[in-house]
Amino acid sequence: MKIICLIKFIPDVEDFTYDYERNVLIREKMNQILNPEDACAVAFALSVKRYYPNTQIEVITMGPKNVTPKLEELLRLDVDHATLITDLAFIGSDTYATSRVLAKVLEQHKSDLILTGTHTLDGDTSHVPAQIAQWLGLPHLSNVISINMNTMDSGRLELNVEHDQEIMSFALKLPAVLSLQKEAPYKLPYVRYEDLNKEVSQRLESISCLECGFKKEEVGFEGSKTKVIKTFVKTLSKKDKQEVTLDEAGIQVVYDFLKEKGVLS
Amino acid sequence: MKKILLYLDGKPQDLSLIGACQRMVKDQEFVITAIGYKEHLPIGDSVYDEVLVIDEQDVMPYDTLNLTQLLMDLHLQHTYDSILFPATPLGRILAPRLAIALHVGLVADVTDIHLNHGIIEMIRPAYSGKLMAQIETLGKGPLMMTVRPGVFNADPVSLKPTLTHELHGFNAKPSGIILLSTRQKTSTEDIRDSKILISGGGGVLEHFDHLQALATLLKAQVSASRRVVDSGVVPRRIQVGQSGKTVSPKLYIALGISGSVQHIEGLKNVENIIAVNTNKNAPICSLATLVVEGDAIEFIDKLIIKIKQNSLNFKEETQ
Repeated sequence: MKIICLIKFIPDVEDFTYDYERNVLIREKMNQILNPEDACAVAFALSVKRYYPNTQIEVITMGPKNVTPKLEELLRLDVDHATLITDLAFIGSDTYATSRVLAKVLEQHKSDLILTGTHTLDGDTSHVPAQIAQWLGLPHLSNVISINMNTMDSGRLELNVEHDQEIMSFALKLPAVLSLQKEAPYKLPYVRYEDLNKEVSQRLESISCLECGFKKEEVGFEGSKTKVIKTFVKTLSKKDKQEVTLDEAGIQVVYDFLKEKGVLS
Repeated sequence: MKKILLYLDGKPQDLSLIGACQRMVKDQEFVITAIGYKEHLPIGDSVYDEVLVIDEQDVMPYDTLNLTQLLMDLHLQHTYDSILFPATPLGRILAPRLAIALHVGLVADVTDIHLNHGIIEMIRPAYSGKLMAQIETLGKGPLMMTVRPGVFNADPVSLKPTLTHELHGFNAKPSGIILLSTRQKTSTEDIRDSKILISGGGGVLEHFDHLQALATLLKAQVSASRRVVDSGVVPRRIQVGQSGKTVSPKLYIALGISGSVQHIEGLKNVENIIAVNTNKNAPICSLATLVVEGDAIEFIDKLIIKIKQNSLNFKEETQ
């Protein structure tokens, strides 16, 4: 079986620096991390490989060249192959253009199962996995919290999906796209000490826009269907702090506050 | 006349999508078609002009491959100006598929809409809400967006006679997805999942059990500061702070908590804090939207009486 994990490296949102004068994100200062739910997807694929040793795992990502060391780390964890789709032409791509490129590459790298995260911490549109499934004509489920390992080789996968207060169990025929969510228990292991400097560059492939089969005008800003007009920091319309004492009037203020916030109906 | 299609996938009484439509069209006339499964659609007169009921026998929810085809067929027949989805788990995976099928842009989790010389500009949060982006769609085709439930308030609209059509006979392709079972999640009582936390500190240590009554009334969970946990009154799993859990509730009621640095470390993106403390200069009070100066246990008792009284009055009024 071949599993492709579609992953994204994102700026660490906890380490968020914003230039308030120029109104831009300071990306150079940002630490790039593997989106946590995408890490879950890779971790699950690795556990499948431990269970079924003939499993092939490939990771595919679109991003700047500087994520290469992060991809090498994954290759040292027993991922078989990594593909970095990288080109300056991709800058400004929205989810339409991005999913189109990724779907094309996925078509060329045939697989039985495509795994992704449900959300990313940066854009958090959750569009790309569903859009890829549409481009490829595959079924798709998101918010996956567990996959039954014993069903992996049966061609009929069983899995659980969490929606708010409900847990739904599905059976699914492969190939398909599955998006894991953070409640899934799969965690990436650490690279083994003896593998820390393992040579992996031969298993890392980097492809450009042209090599994906697209002209520059089909991707990036030109190939997109949406346009960001501007970004801004939310101005908090926080009211001044209100102080009351513990008497009838004070309790009334608290009561009204709870009503206003929808805590009390 | 603008034609708008709304996919409904939540409580029939949630009118966020209607609120979004009102901002989008301003004074223009519009007809609204709502589509979805029976349990999410209104019965009888409603705010929609037309309601289309999808037959579960034809296409199951979560079979987004076929649902997309059904919606695409509908659009090719009626050419909608806009198609809106709620940002529910299903809406979030269905809308992107339809956007690809129709080759149009999609804007997710729209929280505000501006009309700029006839161009609809949508605002959405990014980077965990730390940044807002203003977005427009390009090219031809319907305008598509998803809206989180409860984000837009609809202006009052009068109910109108609604035409209801049941859609039958859609020819679905085999999707390969079978729903085996559905069950309710057992409550894990993780304080990180709670929208409202009633949190107690040293000031309520002696009467910590009082907190639960208020929590039950507000459908909240109880959490605690390290001091309460260290004294053995409550388990560590409900501790907020650096050595406990980081929480982001909409409302945090801090009862008798002074607010040490290690405690405040556990509060991330909390929308509102009510601090009840005998010392109104306690550090926690500087973070609070509302500060109540006084004994926290007395506060709980008084607030519970107030809420119960008002709910009784409300019942009498409506009877």
